Amino acid sequence: MLQTLALALLLLPAAGALVLALTALTIPRTAVRLIGPGVVWLGFVCTLILLVDSLQNNTAHDYTYWTWIKSGAFNLPVNLLVDRLSIFMCLVVTGVGGLIVTYAVGYMDHEGDASYARFFCYMDLFIFSMLLLVLAGNFVFLIMGWAMVGLSSYLLIGFYYWRYSAVAAARKAFVMNVIGDIGLILATFAIFVQYHQTTFAGVFGALPKADGFWIEVIGFLLLVGAVAKSAQLPLHTWLPDAMEGPTPVSALIHAATMVTAGVYLIGRMHPIYDVAFWSHSTAALLGAVTALVAATIGIVQTDIKRVLAYSTMSQIGYMFLGVGLGAYAAGFFHLLAHAFFKALLFMGAGNVIHSMRDEQDMRKFGGLWKDMRVTSICFLIGSLALVGIFPLVGFFSKEVILGDAFSKPDQGGFPQVMWAVGFLTAILTGFYTGRMWWMAFWREAAPDRPVAQPHEAPPVMMVPVIVLTVLTVIGGGLQINAGFDVGWRKVEDFLAPVLGVLPWAPRSLEWIPTAATLLLGGVAFLLAYNIYVNHTWRPWSAAVPWLQRLLERKYYADELYDALFVRTMDGAANAGDKVLEEPVLDGLPTDIGAATRAGAGTLALTQSGFFRTYILVFVGGAAIALILILLVRATS
Amino acid sequence: MIVPQIVFWVMAVIAVLGGLGVIASRQPVRSVLSLVAVMLALSVIFLLLSAQFVFAVQVIVYAGAVMVLFLFVVALLGPMGEGTSHHLRFHWGLSIVVVAVLGAFMYAQLQGIGFRAPDKLDTTFFGTVEQIGTGLFTTYLYPFELTSILLLVAAVGAIYLSRGGRTASEVRRQEEAHAEEDNVA
Amino acid sequence: MPDYGQIQVGAGTLDARLVLGLAFILFLLGALGVLVRRNPIVILVCIELMLNAANLTLITFAAQLHNLEGQLFALMTMTVAAAEAVVGLAILVDIFRVRDVEDVDELSELKG
Repeated sequence: MLQTLALALLLLPAAGALVLALTALTIPRTAVRLIGPGVVWLGFVCTLILLVDSLQNNTAHDYTYWTWIKSGAFNLPVNLLVDRLSIFMCLVVTGVGGLIVTYAVGYMDHEGDASYARFFCYMDLFIFSMLLLVLAGNFVFLIMGWAMVGLSSYLLIGFYYWRYSAVAAARKAFVMNVIGDIGLILATFAIFVQYHQTTFAGVFGALPKADGFWIEVIGFLLLVGAVAKSAQLPLHTWLPDAMEGPTPVSALIHAATMVTAGVYLIGRMHPIYDVAFWSHSTAALLGAVTALVAATIGIVQTDIKRVLAYSTMSQIGYMFLGVGLGAYAAGFFHLLAHAFFKALLFMGAGNVIHSMRDEQDMRKFGGLWKDMRVTSICFLIGSLALVGIFPLVGFFSKEVILGDAFSKPDQGGFPQVMWAVGFLTAILTGFYTGRMWWMAFWREAAPDRPVAQPHEAPPVMMVPVIVLTVLTVIGGGLQINAGFDVGWRKVEDFLAPVLGVLPWAPRSLEWIPTAATLLLGGVAFLLAYNIYVNHTWRPWSAAVPWLQRLLERKYYADELYDALFVRTMDGAANAGDKVLEEPVLDGLPTDIGAATRAGAGTLALTQSGFFRTYILVFVGGAAIALILILLVRATS
Repeated sequence: MIVPQIVFWVMAVIAVLGGLGVIASRQPVRSVLSLVAVMLALSVIFLLLSAQFVFAVQVIVYAGAVMVLFLFVVALLGPMGEGTSHHLRFHWGLSIVVVAVLGAFMYAQLQGIGFRAPDKLDTTFFGTVEQIGTGLFTTYLYPFELTSILLLVAAVGAIYLSRGGRTASEVRRQEEAHAEEDNVA
Repeated sequence: MPDYGQIQVGAGTLDARLVLGLAFILFLLGALGVLVRRNPIVILVCIELMLNAANLTLITFAAQLHNLEGQLFALMTMTVAAAEAVVGLAILVDIFRVRDVEDVDELSELKG
């Protein structure tokens, strides 16, 4: 029965997407409002049932539905792996996803009917793809889910397809995601060639116990996929552009779920990473560097969604840092917490954007504390969670990662260096988050604010935000043992059957760095007040304008990639066009056609229309026939 | 003894002169009349060759009916002289060459062909009406019937072809009327 | 020309080659006329000339081989010639209703 439940969990959003796709032009709006979020909530109910079963029985289920391909050594079943890790991810996807899709019912209300249906069709398609990704029991289905998530992202980023910027952003996201797909596909090939398995259970049983060339290669290829999907350096440039999509899309895909798929991949593949030391450590390094770099860029952003996008990039860097060092449960706890407060922040920003008539520039906000009190309170709580203020969930989840990094022995001090980077990032996080809050909400209303009296959001948009706020506040209770070694570790215990127990114990002095992070992060938050609200201090950008420019240009990453890759491909394509396409592929059929026409033209000259010419040819032909007969007679 | 030779030669000369007249006359009436002369000459030669019935048919049907039809048509169509041609300048030369080649090879074909000995037949009754009638209605009945159908088809075709159609002046008048309509509209 | 023998004509004989030579000349004259003349009626007349030459050949061989088939075939040919002349003239008259045709070269609309 649970087997069918798992399948139903997977297929319900797909059914929703299919129905909406087929009826988009005629379906009434109320039906869309029911189906769109409805299938996601039904999936959430299924997930809860699976959760209850897992809590009671603590067995992982590998459900095989049928064998799809059986060809020589290649044996591919259709199987779903329902264990604690996948249930954990499904809770995030369907739960937070459900809240966001419900929010979108109100946010997208101004769209036309067909557009409205199209939006929820794409959202349900995304939910289905994400569920396929996390429930897949073998590499092929993982790749399918992975690719379809990229597709859904493309469709949703480019939702306003008449806008050139949206289409360009969607294309950029898709292309970079495909680079990741290639890494994942090559890893699957390598795994099959080396270990002759396709399912997770099969592969993990056949892995070598010691580090070697191939397992490192596989680790790096998987890392490419994870880095592309999670927008870590160096494949990060698509995430800020992805803010072209509607705000619910940003909340769901680019904060809570799709970008965390990379973290899931590393967690799921932990048997590989436990053995492949170098690729594992590279993951941690990339995560840490991304966290720092993204935080620095976030300081200079003026679009509120872009601040949140770089913040997401930074926080996922934290998750990579955690799973990259072996603290898998810590990374996943931060994934859960981040889903809560980042979705909250995005939706709160969505409320503001909605009431500001689609204005996203923070410099034109201000004074919202007075006019949109509820949203402001929720946004404040989300911001404080992002900074990591006790007792919100962000504190616990971030400190778990930093504490585990600080406490990890061996590896020659590398974890401690990672900790230091994370510590620095936390201070910067406090600063840019504070800047965002003070600039957008607390200060006096900007003189060029687009709406004089902004109104609070309608209930359908407010309720999900409030729910997430509550979760942010109480979520910390799941794993109190964070940073200060006291209390329980519920998330870690829950995921232990899949991810294992943390191999090292926290150091006795771990509370010192924790306290430092908390303190300095909070101070940075407050410091921003002095710069952006009452302007007592000059903005730092006045002192070092070159730094400001560097950060605004995002360290010139886009320009670099454009010169390296885009120009090269354009040049190659143009050259190919001139050399191959025009003369040969275009020219050859055209030339053949022209030659035929010329030949026909020449032949047509024989049709002169003159009767006497025809008769002459007649008689000439008779003469020739006579000649031929003569020849035959002469030779025989 | 010499009479057949003299008759033949006279008729042959008439025939060749008639042939030249056919192809060389400027006016079509003269061509048709030359052809009549050729036919009559040939019919006499047929008579010389023991083809009495064919001689009669040639005179009555061919020269007497078909040629009269030609004359009627020439009379209907009015005087037609051939002007100088603007097209096909090489045609004359080419035609002579082709016909010469044709003739040469036809002649070449005939070399080396033997002939078989004549059948045993009573020449007194050869080519009589009685003999041809017997042949037509017994051994060769099938071709005879087919030929009659062919004549029927030709007759029907001729009737159909001569039925409709407008004369040149009527066509011109209709075209002018259409042009006026287009101008007015 | 090979020797085809003599034909009995009443009391005398006639060399078959002479008659065949006449037919040959008439045929070539007719062919030349068809090719060279531009008046449509004259073209038809030249075709009739060629048919007559063929008839002459048939009758000659009928007489030389003492075989009646030649004469019967000549009769058929005559019938066919008559039928073809009728249809040809009918077409010509039809064309003539629309435009005055003196020169066959003017009827060159079926070109290309």
